[in-house]
Amino acid sequence: MIKTNNVSKVVETSEGRLVILEGITLEINQGESVAVVGASGSGKTTLLSLLAGLDSPSDGKIVLGGEQDITVMNEAQRAKLRGEMVGFVFQTFQLLSSLSALENVMLPGELRGDPQAEHNAKKLLDRVGLGHRLQHYPRQLSGGEQQRVAIARAFASNPKILFADEPTGNLDAKTGAKIIDLLFELNADFGTTLVLVTHDARLAARCERSILIDAGLLVSEAVDVSAAIA
Amino acid sequence: MKLALKLLVRDWRGGELTLLLAALIIAVGTVTTITLFVDRLQQALLMESASFIAADRVISASRPIEPALLARADEYGLQRSATVSFLSMVFSDERAQLAAVKAVDDGYPLRGKLIVADEPFGTGRPAQKGPQPGSVWMESRLFPSLDTRPGASVDVGALTLPIADVLLKEPDRGGGFDTVAPRVIMHLSDVDRTEIIQPGSRVTYRYLFSGEEGRLKAWEASVRPDLPEDTRLYGVKEGAEEIGEALSKAERFLLLGGLLGVILAGVAIALAANRYAYRHFDHVAILKTLGATPARIDQIYLVIFIGLGLAATLIGAGLGLLVQAGVAEVLRPLLPVALPAPTMKPVLLGLTTGMVCLLSFALPPLLTLRNADPVRVIRRDLDTASPSSLLAYGFGGLGTFGLMWWYSQDLRLTILLFIGGLVAVVVLGLLALLLVRSGRQVGLQAGSAWRLAVAGLQRRQLESALQILAFGLALMLLLTLFLVRTSLLSEWRNQIPADAPNHFAMNILPEERGEIRAFLDGAKVTVTPEYPMIRGRITELNGVPVAELKRDGGGDRGAPRLSSTRNLTATATLPEDNKILSGTWFSPTSLVSEVSVEAEFAKSNGLMLGDMLVFEIEGRALAAEVTSVRSVAWDNLQPNFYLIFSPQMLIDFPSTFMTSFFLDPDQKSVLSPLLRAFPTMTVLEVDALIEQIRTIVAQVTLAVEFMLVLILMSGAMVLLASIQASLDERMKQFVILRTLGASNQLVRTSLAMEFAVLGAFAGLLAALGAELTVYGLEREIFDLDYSPTPWLWALGPILGAGLISVIGMLATRRVLDQSPVAVLRGLA
Repeated sequence: MIKTNNVSKVVETSEGRLVILEGITLEINQGESVAVVGASGSGKTTLLSLLAGLDSPSDGKIVLGGEQDITVMNEAQRAKLRGEMVGFVFQTFQLLSSLSALENVMLPGELRGDPQAEHNAKKLLDRVGLGHRLQHYPRQLSGGEQQRVAIARAFASNPKILFADEPTGNLDAKTGAKIIDLLFELNADFGTTLVLVTHDARLAARCERSILIDAGLLVSEAVDVSAAIA
Repeated sequence: MKLALKLLVRDWRGGELTLLLAALIIAVGTVTTITLFVDRLQQALLMESASFIAADRVISASRPIEPALLARADEYGLQRSATVSFLSMVFSDERAQLAAVKAVDDGYPLRGKLIVADEPFGTGRPAQKGPQPGSVWMESRLFPSLDTRPGASVDVGALTLPIADVLLKEPDRGGGFDTVAPRVIMHLSDVDRTEIIQPGSRVTYRYLFSGEEGRLKAWEASVRPDLPEDTRLYGVKEGAEEIGEALSKAERFLLLGGLLGVILAGVAIALAANRYAYRHFDHVAILKTLGATPARIDQIYLVIFIGLGLAATLIGAGLGLLVQAGVAEVLRPLLPVALPAPTMKPVLLGLTTGMVCLLSFALPPLLTLRNADPVRVIRRDLDTASPSSLLAYGFGGLGTFGLMWWYSQDLRLTILLFIGGLVAVVVLGLLALLLVRSGRQVGLQAGSAWRLAVAGLQRRQLESALQILAFGLALMLLLTLFLVRTSLLSEWRNQIPADAPNHFAMNILPEERGEIRAFLDGAKVTVTPEYPMIRGRITELNGVPVAELKRDGGGDRGAPRLSSTRNLTATATLPEDNKILSGTWFSPTSLVSEVSVEAEFAKSNGLMLGDMLVFEIEGRALAAEVTSVRSVAWDNLQPNFYLIFSPQMLIDFPSTFMTSFFLDPDQKSVLSPLLRAFPTMTVLEVDALIEQIRTIVAQVTLAVEFMLVLILMSGAMVLLASIQASLDERMKQFVILRTLGASNQLVRTSLAMEFAVLGAFAGLLAALGAELTVYGLEREIFDLDYSPTPWLWALGPILGAGLISVIGMLATRRVLDQSPVAVLRGLA
């Protein structure tokens, strides 16, 4: 489902060239759940943004869905691909503050021009347990509720791949655990490929496999996740 | 499309659009109000001023104009009337007097009113039209001169006509001294029977036209090429020197005010749109992660823009219509004339202005939204690009220039203001940055809130400098307008001082000088020094007869001609309001033949210092050298001369004298015995004219003041918008401080200080900018005497600090009262 070949990301800073990622080659299969782990600043979030087509690598090739090389696409083509294939869950939820919960979840469908957008959004919000708070705005919801809206929105586009960036990073342990349950539950139902960036060893352990990034390099498949991120 | 509209509605509901919409509505509203009100005032002013020539346009000729040519006005739907003027002796049973006879038709006057009375110098009442055929009206002063009374008859040429009424005021009498003879008005149909007009008679034919300005212009363009050589077609500005200048300056001021209004509105829109775009950068990034392409983003925000624009321009224009109607209603008791109904043109102008403002100021920031990087959703720190870009500035600049040009129809004014503005922006921007940076030493000395404020300003150096620039520009425009207005008003006030002479006595015989002065002194009337006055004309220039000079000196049509017969005088003292532009004024004891020439006269006839002129006066030749060129304030209603001789030159000529004096309305009765005692003397009453001018100046003043108030409102809007634009960043900082335990008092004091420092810097820059702009404007555009305004340098910073901190604290009050969490959520 996701295949990268020798991907690197270099940025120019006032102090010279900064290598964020170097020579990343990996493969993630359809339906698989993979945790990307590493210490703070190791480059894991950058890797996620490259895999999802939010950013372009400095070098290398990234293929999504078996044939789509996103490194040769322009922003418009990548946006189209994201709309069709990819869903996101972010640490900071990233809901549109001026839209209600329902409207936030309807957005992907509306962007595609799906006449069923509202119907599907309601179903999804029901599914994440927020059927009674459709008209609430993000600022009227708790952190856990906001993340549930974000998860519902991620699945609203019926994605083939779901990227999650520290989905529990802003939540307390109890709420975080509930969110993770929900995420994995939906992931299983939709048969989505899941790529999850996390610090949380327990969360990483729930994935089928973990990838360790250290100082921009793909070290190996992490065996002991807790040790890798300590 | 549907999605975009939904987003628009959702944004509106979420309160995201409030500020932008408010800025737009106020911008369009202000521009529409200004344009509408100014249009109505201008119409009223023009109508009122048109009374000075009794029409909107006049064709003046020395021979009758072909009826077919005149009839062309009918095709344009204009009204017309005709008058014929000539000098003639008028006889009563006992006496004779030279009178300026004017024959008018039933349509006269097209503008303004005739005022008549039953008794000489009596109480006036308006008359709808001139005298009936077979009767005359005479000016008050003619009655004592002819020793007659209303109801008696006078002979005009071969015709004997009864005196039906006393003429007190005719709208187009004017203040010129060429027509000093007392007025007799008769009906046009009686002229032939007087048998006065013979081939070779000196007669002036005036054809009056009135109608809607657009039609007048079209007609003017069509008829002007077909007019005979020696005719003149003019409107009120060329026809009435006394007010033409004031009107032109007022018009330029209103125009300038309108321009500044447009610019201020544009800045407010740009600031609000920038804030909207800035707050939507994250939204766009999220939309992009959800699959929205850049083209889709453009489409969405274009629809939002159009929806917003339509709503704002329609509401704004409606509001403008209401506000100006309200203002006109409130001002009605103050206005000396009724305002004509508003036309649709200004509404369209307001709508277009609104749309162009939107296009050039609001669209560019919105269009930069397409560039929001989707990776912002994960790494906000990676991309903090502001939505402003070169494109946005280019668009804004182009739009501003276009609007200014379109609005002013004056490329020179536009370029002057635009380049001045650009230089001001760059120089003031750099200065603002310097000021912010130099604050460091000062800041360390003071207390904690002060340190916090200065630190805040320095941390956001560029933003602070930009804010100082925005505040500074707004304040600068306001100060500029205020200063120009003050100079204009004081010029108008000084034009005719309250005790300016309002009566002129002419044809005073040398031997009567003493007696007349004694008579007036006895009546407690103050008299100005007498001038000798004699008629004469130039016959030679540097040895070449004037008749042989090409096109009479090559001047413009309507410019003073070299060869015309003029009133000449000789004096040792330079008349008040005259200024020597080149050469030197006569020494008091000068015995040399010198002449001082008025600047316009010198220019249009190509006269230079050192030129030798030969005059023909009373059949004798008199040579004089041009030794000075003077400017003359033609609108001061004082005796003014194109040509003044050195003091001794007219001693040998049988000149008469003229003088002027001021009469209160209750002193007017002195005129009747005066004229009876000295029947050869001519008294010209200009008190009615002065009153007419004062009325117009009062109206113009009101218009100017009103414009200032409207612009002040626009300026306040800009200040509010720019404070709002910086609010998010400030609030975040203060929430963190509050969370860390800072007292609300500290936060408030520090915030107030920050605004005060910003305001003071902005005020300082505004003072600098305003001083320079006013210098340029007064010299280049308004033709006023510039004088520096030192108090501005103190007022600017104080005004800036006060204004910005008050508006700033009002704008942030609500937020400061909320809990930190609530504020943070609102900013999310």
